[in-house]
Parts: sequence; C-alpha cells; structure tokens
Amino acid sequence: MIYLDNAATTKPNARALDEARAYLTERYFNPSALYREGFELHLELKAAREHILSCLADPAAFELIFTSCGTEADNQAIFSFARRGNAVTTSGEHAAVANPFAELKSRGVEPRFAPLNADGSVNAEKLLDLIDDKTSFVSVIHVNNETGAINDVNAIAKAVKEKNPRVVFHTDGVQSFGKLPYRIGKDVDLYSLSAHKIGGLKGVGALICKKKLRLSPYLYGGGQEGGLRSGTENVFGIKTLEFAALEKYGGRREKYERMQELRRRFFERLDGSLFVKISSDSSSPYILSLVARGLRGEILLHRVNDRGLLIGTGSACSSNAKKRYSRVILACGVSERDADGVIRLSFSDETTEEELGEAAKILNEEARSLSEDMQ
Amino acid sequence: MKHVIIVRYAEIFLKGKNRGYFERVFVMNMEKALRGIRHEIRRASGRYLVEGFDEEQTEEVVSRLRKVFGTHSLSVAYVVPSEREEIVAAAKLVCRPQGTFKVETHRADKTYPMNSMEFSAWLGGELLEAYPHLRVDVHAPQFTVYADIRENGVTMLFSEFLPGAGGMPVGTAGKGLLLISGGIDSPVAGHMIAKRGMKLSCLHFHSYPYTNPQALEKVKDLVRELTPYNGGDTKMYVVKVTHIQESIHKHCAEEYMVTLLRRFMMRIAERVALREGYQCLITGESLGQVASQTIEGMTSSNAVIESLPVLRPLCGFDKNEIIERSRAIGTYDTSILPYEDCCTVFLPKFPVTKPKMQDVLAEEGKLDVEGLIAEAMESMEILEL
Repeated sequence: MIYLDNAATTKPNARALDEARAYLTERYFNPSALYREGFELHLELKAAREHILSCLADPAAFELIFTSCGTEADNQAIFSFARRGNAVTTSGEHAAVANPFAELKSRGVEPRFAPLNADGSVNAEKLLDLIDDKTSFVSVIHVNNETGAINDVNAIAKAVKEKNPRVVFHTDGVQSFGKLPYRIGKDVDLYSLSAHKIGGLKGVGALICKKKLRLSPYLYGGGQEGGLRSGTENVFGIKTLEFAALEKYGGRREKYERMQELRRRFFERLDGSLFVKISSDSSSPYILSLVARGLRGEILLHRVNDRGLLIGTGSACSSNAKKRYSRVILACGVSERDADGVIRLSFSDETTEEELGEAAKILNEEARSLSEDMQ
Repeated sequence: MKHVIIVRYAEIFLKGKNRGYFERVFVMNMEKALRGIRHEIRRASGRYLVEGFDEEQTEEVVSRLRKVFGTHSLSVAYVVPSEREEIVAAAKLVCRPQGTFKVETHRADKTYPMNSMEFSAWLGGELLEAYPHLRVDVHAPQFTVYADIRENGVTMLFSEFLPGAGGMPVGTAGKGLLLISGGIDSPVAGHMIAKRGMKLSCLHFHSYPYTNPQALEKVKDLVRELTPYNGGDTKMYVVKVTHIQESIHKHCAEEYMVTLLRRFMMRIAERVALREGYQCLITGESLGQVASQTIEGMTSSNAVIESLPVLRPLCGFDKNEIIERSRAIGTYDTSILPYEDCCTVFLPKFPVTKPKMQDVLAEEGKLDVEGLIAEAMESMEILEL
C-alpha cells in the first residue's frame, strides 16, 4: 500500500508510540491526583507543553492548552474573541473555521470572507480591505489543506494590526505544524494545531495563545488546563504529540527541502496531458492538488485504491452540488467541470522516492484507462 | 402486577384449515423480532400475550412488534389477580388523570360476582374518586379503560389499541426478489409486497468505481431498515454492472443507456431469482415517473423476462404518496442521502422516453449480451442482513 493522504491523517510515529506506551500501561494516573504518581504526570504535561511550544514560539510569551483536536482549538479561539462587530477570514479555510464563522452570524457578529488567489492563498489586499474599526477577530489559515497554498500569516497579521491594533489574530496551523520551518510572529495571537497530522494520536490538539490574551473556556468542569479546557488530560495522546513534534522539528528545513525536491520530481513523472497542477510551486511541498482532466476525482480515487494507492479528492460522487464540489477549490476560480476532477496527494517525511515513482505510474495508467472508458 | 402486551392478529382469522400454519409463522416472526430481549409469547384465545420482559423495555417491545406483519393491534396491559383492590390499583395506572372516559368490561369468567355492566359502573366510580378531574362520557369518551376478566382468575387492564402493521405473516406467501436501488421507491414497493406475506430478498446493482462504497452502504442500510418488516432477516445480492455500463457507453447511442441497462438488470434479476428459488421480481417502478418508467420503457425492460411475474406495486402511486409511505416505514431519511445509485457520468442528457423495440434491439445487437451478463453474475456477492 502507498499512502498519499497524509493531510487527512498520518501513520502514528512508531517511536512516539513506544515512548508513550508507559503512560498507557503503567503511569495511568490522573494528573490532577494529589499523590506523587499523579503529580509527576502533572509536571510531565507541563514539560510537554513547553517542549511543543518551543518548536514554534517563545514559551515566555505564549501559553499552550491541550484540546481534543484541531477543530476544538479553532472553535475555542473563534468564540473566545469574535464577540463583537465583525470577524474576517478567508474563503480558503478548513470547515473547522468556516463553519464557526457561519455560526457567528447568529451570535450577532458579522462574518466576512476574503477571496482567494488561483493557488488557494488569500488575496491579502482584499482581506485588508475588509478590516475596519469594528473588526474584532481575524483568522487566516496558514497552509491551505486542499491546495497547500501558504499564507504569510506573520506578514498578514502585521498589516492587519497596522490597520486595527485591537484585532485578535488567529491562524489555523494544522497543516503547517511540524512541516513548515516557521516561528509564530509577534502579531499572531493564536495558533491551532493537531497531533495526528504529524504522527501523533487522533484525539489530541492544542491551541497556542499569547499570554496576555484571555481565552474563554469552551468546556466547564474540573478546571484542567488552567480552567480553559476542563476534562482529564489524554496523557498518552499528549505524549505522542510531544515526541512526534520534537522529532519533526529536528532538521526541519532539510526535510522541507527534501520534500520540495520529491514533489517536483513526482509531478514531472505525471503525464502532463492528463494532470494539471492547482498547487503552486511555492506551496507547502507536503500537498499536491491536481485536476485530472475531464475525469471525476472520486472515480480515479477508487480505481487507484484498487491498485493499492490511497489518495484524497476535492470532490465527492454526490448528486448534491453543495457536497459535490469543494467550496475552497471553487473559490480558487476552478470551473465546476475541473473541480469534479480534483485529487489531492499529500506526503509525509516518511514518503519515499520509490513510492512516489510507483504512485505516478499508477495514476498515469489509471487516468489514461479511465479517460478511454469515458470516451 | 404483571406487564403484558396483547397482540391481536389481522387477517389470519379468515384462514380455515391451514390457520395453524399461519399462526406458527406469525409466532416465529414475533420471536425473531424480539431477538435479544428476554420474553415469552403465550397463545390466549384468539390472540397472543407477550410477557416476561423488563418494564423499561415495554416501548422497545411494542415498537418491534408493530413492524411484524399479521398484527392487527397491540395493547400494553397490566395483569392482576381478579381482586377488587388490585384491579383498582392497576386501573389507576392505565387511566389518565383528567378528561372524559368510560370503562368497558369483557367478562370471560362468568362466575365473577358482578356482571359486565355492574363491574364497569363500579370501576368507573373508583376511578372518579381517585381522579376528581375525570368525567364520565359513555358516548364519546376521550379515552376508555378496558377490563378483561379472564377465566384463570386474572384481570387485564389497558386503555389503548395501538394499530399493528396489518397484512399477513411474512413467509406465508412465497419468496420474491426486490430490485433495490437506493432511492425512495423500491423500499416502499418491497414493504407493500412483504405486507401480503411474501418473504423478500433484495438485489442491488452498483457500478464501482463510478459509484462509491458509501452508496452501497446506504442501500445496505435501507435493507436493514426493511428487515424488521421482513421476518427479521434479509438476503441481499449485489451485482456489479460497471462493465455493462461502460460497454453501452462505448458502443451504443447515448440516449439508450438507461433503457438498455434496465434490460440487463431485468435479465440478471430473473436469472438470480430462478437460480435461488424466488417466485417473482418486484420493482419500485411508478408509471411515468421517469423516462424509463413510461409504459414503453416498461415494455422494453419487461420483454427480456422469460417466465417470472414482475410485481410493480407502486405503478398507480404519485410521488408524494410514495414519499408519505416511505416516511411511515422509516426508510425516507436514508433514501434521500445524496449518494448516487448509478453514477451520473453515464447518464444521457436526453434519454429516450418511448423506446421503439426495433431500435432497442438494434442498439443491443451491438453488445455481447450473454458475455456481459455472465461477467456480471460472476461478480455477485451475497450478504445476510
């Protein structure tokens, strides 16, 4: 099997699982318990928080709270700070941001959506135009999960704050965390991440928040995570996140460059008469979004699936137009006909050149044979 | 105080010498419906008593039994020794605290010291005393408290007749093969035929990879939703027609895709039915609903059938009537999930609505019909749902 859907989830990092195993089998205590065994776990969580934080930002200026997933982190950020006036985001957000923004309307906050460029990045100028005195919150996805387009969130945040310094700026970092060589800039206030996109476990995410900002809890209860996220901590899952993150950030730039090279060579192997690139060359090398010309992405997905290649798609075989086309792909200006043919290949640092060679071969063969069947 | 469900059966009472057979099948179907719940089914003069389940499970037992064909009505009753105090206590539980009511008594135990009229008057009086907001109205009461004084020294009290599914016990009217697509209509057609006692199996055609596994799972869910009406288990046959569609697409005029595909489906269905011992085919066609369901369309697809009858119970229904039934059965919400049954990539923009037989045969002549059918039959999977 060749797995090229790493933007959906990744194979858990075996070393992280090994390292964390003891927290499942022997050190199963409640970190809030008062006996030594429990308190030690409390201290370990504290250390994990610092370790993860230091991969991205200055632990003195930011804090990190563990959540159950990236979606929860996004929701908590949005509903903590988008409380008045208007809130601005992009048309290229993951549903975990897009849908909470749609919900804001019923809470009396006007959501505003900035248009995208053809590669899926936000049109920063138009985004700035949407910001005014009444803007309370801005959220810009760091790496677009469908096209891989990178938004320069540090620069956008700076420009936003120049226009309205009271804005709270959030970025959904789920597809950039552990992949892009990146440090959270001084104008970015909140950053969401998820463990299972980098080899950690599903069920763990985190929200990084500037220390001076006051988040609101989303869940009320036992007061864990400084009262901001109640519920007994998933120690095992958090430990897998910590180990996986530390491994990802070792030699980050070299891994990133290796991936750029692999993706470039992979695309060269694809038949140019069958596949057109949506992702730009400057996008995250971990994602490659393509249009399979004149074909339906999902049918191609099933075909290559039968040959052991797992990929993602930007469309679904649905009679419901809303579910059929990706909202983000359409926002990039792709026609409905081409949107039908969008597939998404996503890689991890574990992806090998041989796998990509084989994947390109399967994709070429199946796309060719499918176009013949469809003629 | 014991809790029982009284099950009265529908048309079975019309049966003469083979009534025993009908009743045996009926009880077997009830047993299957109640699988997983501790219970006992007892025969009592002209009806059945279901008892021995936990009181908390009453609603679940009732809702499962209401899907068993052959049931006319059900009542949830309390059974108490025929002692006055106990009868009053149970009657209070089935009685509502306010509104107008009457008591109706059936006295099977003719040795009971009061006759029916006296008993009703006495029990009514006790209830009026217990609930001061009640009023008696013997002509048009808002509810009725029924008392059934049995010969074995017990009395049953209840106040509701819940309608059952009606019809005949599934399995008493042969076996049929339902062509199920994933839309609204076919489950309704199946339900109607099962109601008359026919045991259904289902046949579904898919065109993977043009249709996805989710669409197939949706059809399985529909079959699972039909199963309680179908005697508790349903066999499902799944046949892949991808290559047939691809061949039609490649060799024949575009507008004949659906017409030709339906002929293939009917042929395959009849072969499956004959091989597996089904006595008829059932489809969800409704006259004129779509291009392929005109009388000309039906003629064309029916022409390939060699020996079996094809039942089309929905032919005379409007779409909204079908939807209404689908809602009542409980298949509607699954039916409308937006997965495609035969992927629209092959759907012609303008399908023929009145295919002429000679044209159909000419188009079909371009294909290796037998080879394609044999290949499709080869792909068949059989599932037990």
